Parts: sequence; C-alpha cells; structure tokens
Amino acid sequence: MRILLIAGLLAAAAPLMAAEDQVVISPPAEGSVNLETGLAAWDRIYEVASHPRCSNCHVGDSDQPMWSGPSYGAPRPHGMNIRAGDSRIGAETIPCRTCHVTNETGGNDMPHGAPQVADAWQLPPVEADWFGRTSDEICAQLRDPERNDGRTFMELADHLGHDVILHWAWNPGGTREAAPYSLQEHVDDLLIWGVAGMPCHFD
Amino acid sequence: MKLRVNGKDHHVDVEDDMPLLWVLRDELGLMGTKYGCGIAQCGACTVHMDGIAVRSCQLAAADVDGDITTIEGLGTPESLHAVQEAWVETQVAQCGYCQSGQIMQVASFLDMNPEPTDDQIDAAMSGNLCRCGAYPRIRAAIRSAAGKMAAA
Repeated sequence: MRILLIAGLLAAAAPLMAAEDQVVISPPAEGSVNLETGLAAWDRIYEVASHPRCSNCHVGDSDQPMWSGPSYGAPRPHGMNIRAGDSRIGAETIPCRTCHVTNETGGNDMPHGAPQVADAWQLPPVEADWFGRTSDEICAQLRDPERNDGRTFMELADHLGHDVILHWAWNPGGTREAAPYSLQEHVDDLLIWGVAGMPCHFD
Repeated sequence: MKLRVNGKDHHVDVEDDMPLLWVLRDELGLMGTKYGCGIAQCGACTVHMDGIAVRSCQLAAADVDGDITTIEGLGTPESLHAVQEAWVETQVAQCGYCQSGQIMQVASFLDMNPEPTDDQIDAAMSGNLCRCGAYPRIRAAIRSAAGKMAAA
C-alpha cells in the first residue's frame, strides 16, 4: 500500500484549503475489484471530469477556456476574448496569471473574481480533451498512454494528489459550484477503476 | 512588509490580504494606477510584477513576489517608454482613466511578443476596457510602438 500525504505542500500556503488537500493514495488489493464496481467508479470519475469546474479548461484543440455551469447560464467561451495560445499559459497575448495570480494565502472567494491557486494558472494539454465529450470518449483518453502523458492509474492518482489547480475544483470559491464528491473520493475512484483494469462501458 | 516598487524599496505596514492596488495608492501615494472594477474584469489597475502584467486589485500584498513597476516607473517625462511615446503621438486618450492600465498591458505584451498579429493584439487587449471607445487608436498606437521598439 502506498500512502502519499501532500499536506505539507499546502498547509502553510493555503490554510483555508489545507484540510481538503490531504490526499491518501491507497489502492484496493490487486484482483479485488470486479468489473461492475470498476465501471461504477468510472461513472463517478466521469461526473467529475465532465463537471464545469474540470471540463471548462479541458478544451482540447481550442485555446479558449469555457465558462459554463449553474452560475454562468448558457456555456460560452471565457469572457474578454481570452486565448491561451500554443503555450497554454497565454504567453502570446495575455498570460493567464495576469488575472489568475499565484495566491499563496488562501484562494479567491470573491464572486466573479478570477480563481486563484498557489500555482501558475494554465490550460491542460491539448490531448486532455474533455469539454462536451462523452463518457466513452473520456474513458478511452484517460487510459490511453498516448493521451494521458504515459501515466499508469497510480501515476494519474499521484498527479491528482499534487496538482493544486485540480484541487481548486473542489474549493472554487465565489458562487461557483464545486465538482462532485471530494478530491479524496475522486482519487479513491480512480484507484478502484485502475485496479479493475481501467474498464470502459464500450469494452 | 517590504516591497520594491519602481526601483525603490518600501516598508509598508498592511494586512496580508490588502490588494496591491490599495498599497500603491493609499500607502505609497502612487495614484497613476486606477481602480475600475476590483474583480479583474477591466484592466484599469494593471501594473508589472517582474515585467509581467498583473491586475493589482487581484494580488494580495503578501503574494507580491517580484519587483513592481507602475505607470510612474515605466518611463520619465524626459525619456518616455516607446509605448508612452506612441500613445502621445497617436493621442490615444480621451478621458484617460483606463490608459495607465492599457499602457502597462501593452508594454508587457510587446516585451513578450514584439511582432504581434492584429488578432494577438485584440486578444491581449480585450481584458482592458475603455468606456470612451478609444480602441481603434489603442490598436494604432500598439502597432506604432511595436515599430519603434523593433527599430530601437
């Protein structure tokens, strides 16, 4: 069993978020998860991946983040004609961090203000293309080493444990709806799905 | 806490979460940087942190991590920054309230992207609002400033 605590990473940096950011990576025993349980875990993972707090930035080929979700009305591209460019950090035009400043003191709870975390704001890689995608499409992407940066399910879980932009999805501040479940539950689901062999419904 | 602004060190006694904008205006008396919306939607408060444009209304004093430059420190009346020079020549400003934010955004943008396309200019500047609608002159001045910087 592998246990990873990242409390120290954020405990000093973001006291408001620290409690939620302790992630334990503890997969079920090999062979202990049947297909049905694995697919149920995948369905919960998809609920998270397709939630606006996650999918709004997973825009694939587009370099325009989206604004969607209960507090935004109809889905639309990020206001102010924001383009993240090939750099995915807006270096060609206006850096994401001009407004999404790196914030070491506890996030930005201001309604309508720019979300902030203790890291440089950016879009995910083009390969992680989730916005508007189906459960089957995202499932195929997430288990494909060509499109998941060569990660095993353990490495995916580890990535989730470390990336503070992802953690923001469960603590988005303002009037934004948080992603479903919790960061720990999401990591646990990823591990259950992984031990089940990363099944997809179309298999 | 200690801040370096326009090449000078300052010690200020403020709460950690005071926005840099208030530190600049109320503590240091640098009134060139303007308050517009307070939520990073207008660009009036743009300054540089280590040369990168940041919205000073969004940056808590304790999160300042680098040298700050405001409009007062970008150039001098005797030696204007190329962007300021282009702004004067193009007579961009109408009421002028948003202009220090516009100029700071452009200076940082051209530093990173010295030969921008028109689309890139529009994308870089769409976060800086101008209620007078000086956008055509802003675009013209950016092209002029890019030319000046390339020739320098």
